[in-house]
Amino acid sequence: MREEIAVASVALRNIVKRFGVHPVLHGINLEIPDGAFVVLLGPSGCGKSTLLRMIAGLEEISGGDVLIGGEVVNGRRPRDRNIAMVFQNYSLYAHMSVFENMAFSMRLRHCAKDEIERKVRWAASILGMESYLGRYPRQLSGGQRQRVAMGRALVRDPEVFLFDEPLSNLDAQLRVAMRTEIKALHQRLGTTSIYVTHDQIEAMTMADQIVVMRDGKVEQLGAPMDIYERPANIFVASFVGAPAMNLLRGRIEGDDGGPVFAAEGGGRWPLPREVAARRGQSVVYGIRPEDLALSSEAESTEATISLLETTGPELHIYAQAGGAAICGIIRERLDAKPGQVIRLRPQIDRIHLFDAATGGAL
Amino acid sequence: MSVADSARSSAPADLARQPVRRFLARVLVSDHPFPWLFPATAMILAFGIYPLVYSIWLSLHEWNRFTRSFSFVGGEQWAKALTDPRMWHALGVTTTYTVVCLAVELALGLGIALLLDRDRRGYGVLRGLMTLPLVVPPAVTGLMFLLMLDGQFGVLTYYGVMLGILERAQPLLGHTSFALFGVMLADVWQWTPFMVLIFLAGLRALPKDPFEAAAIDGANAFQIFWRLTVPMLGRVAAVAILIRAIDLFRIYDYVYVMTGGGPGTATEVLSFYAGRIFTTGNFSYAATISLITLVVLIVVANLFIRLFRVRF
Repeated sequence: MREEIAVASVALRNIVKRFGVHPVLHGINLEIPDGAFVVLLGPSGCGKSTLLRMIAGLEEISGGDVLIGGEVVNGRRPRDRNIAMVFQNYSLYAHMSVFENMAFSMRLRHCAKDEIERKVRWAASILGMESYLGRYPRQLSGGQRQRVAMGRALVRDPEVFLFDEPLSNLDAQLRVAMRTEIKALHQRLGTTSIYVTHDQIEAMTMADQIVVMRDGKVEQLGAPMDIYERPANIFVASFVGAPAMNLLRGRIEGDDGGPVFAAEGGGRWPLPREVAARRGQSVVYGIRPEDLALSSEAESTEATISLLETTGPELHIYAQAGGAAICGIIRERLDAKPGQVIRLRPQIDRIHLFDAATGGAL
Repeated sequence: MSVADSARSSAPADLARQPVRRFLARVLVSDHPFPWLFPATAMILAFGIYPLVYSIWLSLHEWNRFTRSFSFVGGEQWAKALTDPRMWHALGVTTTYTVVCLAVELALGLGIALLLDRDRRGYGVLRGLMTLPLVVPPAVTGLMFLLMLDGQFGVLTYYGVMLGILERAQPLLGHTSFALFGVMLADVWQWTPFMVLIFLAGLRALPKDPFEAAAIDGANAFQIFWRLTVPMLGRVAAVAILIRAIDLFRIYDYVYVMTGGGPGTATEVLSFYAGRIFTTGNFSYAATISLITLVVLIVVANLFIRLFRVRF
């Protein structure tokens, strides 16, 4: 069965939110095109859930405009915004069966009985919940409950899907499975989706666009790989990626062979010939763990292993290099022990430099 | 010898000299269940089981004024009670009283709780004030309403007359058909706050998310109330109904203070009828009426618990 799906763009114009006198969102501007899957990513307390709730109409807007499908919806009640939301705690109606949970919104709209039946069964078939329609939420597992919550959103035929950390209550395995399901569902329906999470793996795997937020501000907006490979500042560089990017404080020094980064603790790290920083400038040198490799060259950096972690395909090396803690990921076998000295060489074209004063990328 | 050493060496000697302390020291570390179960068991036996068994024994005997002793009469008292029209009348009055008071207190309690379930300034004080009627002794409440319903000086009578629903010559408590409603007023005033508190606790414990989900699903305030709030409060309401119903069915104090069961037997409830018989010295029949109250309560309460699947 195929359903006609409505989609709408979402735009946020200078959105401000204050709780009392405390501002929590400072003028957010965002354009989300029709059918896009956008992830709001940030640490706890950065305002991403508040922003989502403002789009849903569950939170008052202190300033700015929310537009859905080109229309300002600030004054509209949640039910008049043609959105559907999946909550972190599922928010199922505990006294209603799975069928009734999914049918609730349609019953409120006085839809015909056979239409309700058809729509609920359609949503249940997409989510593989046909045989659970008679059960109550308390009789379901966490993953099944989350599916019911999604089914409830599906039958509404919304123009926009809002997800508020929907997977954070699930165990790791189920989280991966549901992540794939949500993404597959989006590819199938093409409904504009805004997804809030603090899990950068979720963001990287699901998003068309990631909005990285901190302290009520957008730090960077872009495609997942853009954000990963070209972080706009130190915060984005450290927040996206696990293990996090190695960030070393120091200054640019020059010698005959070209510029070199001299870390505060004493280590020296290579730089490309052309860098957007002058000699003597204080910078933060960033290199992702997977962009470090073992080396035997004399100009590579010496490091003392402090810890080794094996994930199976990869080996995570935690080491001290010139007083700074660094992490490297290698895929080759290494017969080494903590305390042993190794040499590490960064992939020169994957080095990130940030201004030490502003934190911005150079 | 240091002070600590002397304290250590003298401790067992002290215990030996104080048998109570020695006994307690042994009991308080006992693994045997007896010392732990004994206090509660003794209380239940003394104040619960013994009076019940004694009442049952009384209901199977009759006091002989000449021999000044009890003689066994079997089910005679029960047969007498079950064919006593005054007992049936009292049961009817008690049931009316319980059902009406319960319905009014439930509706008012839920309504007021919904109004007070806000986090705005001043609502905390209002919620605190709601508990005031609960701390007034019921006899004082009875007297207060007796005065307010007085035909001459009563403020409620004054407003009742002004509104044309009462006549000064026929005060509420003196009216055969409506005196019970006068008594109900006192009960409703005193015990509605209890319902408010229980419903407030229930409302405050409800998760917020389903209500937000319902707002997005398209429910208006009325639909949210009927389809979410009421069913989600069901369990709390069931417990509140059960506790209040049991309490209402045993009503005695307001009737005693306000009407003395009158006019005639218009407000004579079961416990008051049992009390009246007791004062005439017919202990066996009074015990039988009390046991009938107990049996009715046990049957109705259990039916209610089964029917509404009340869990404690």
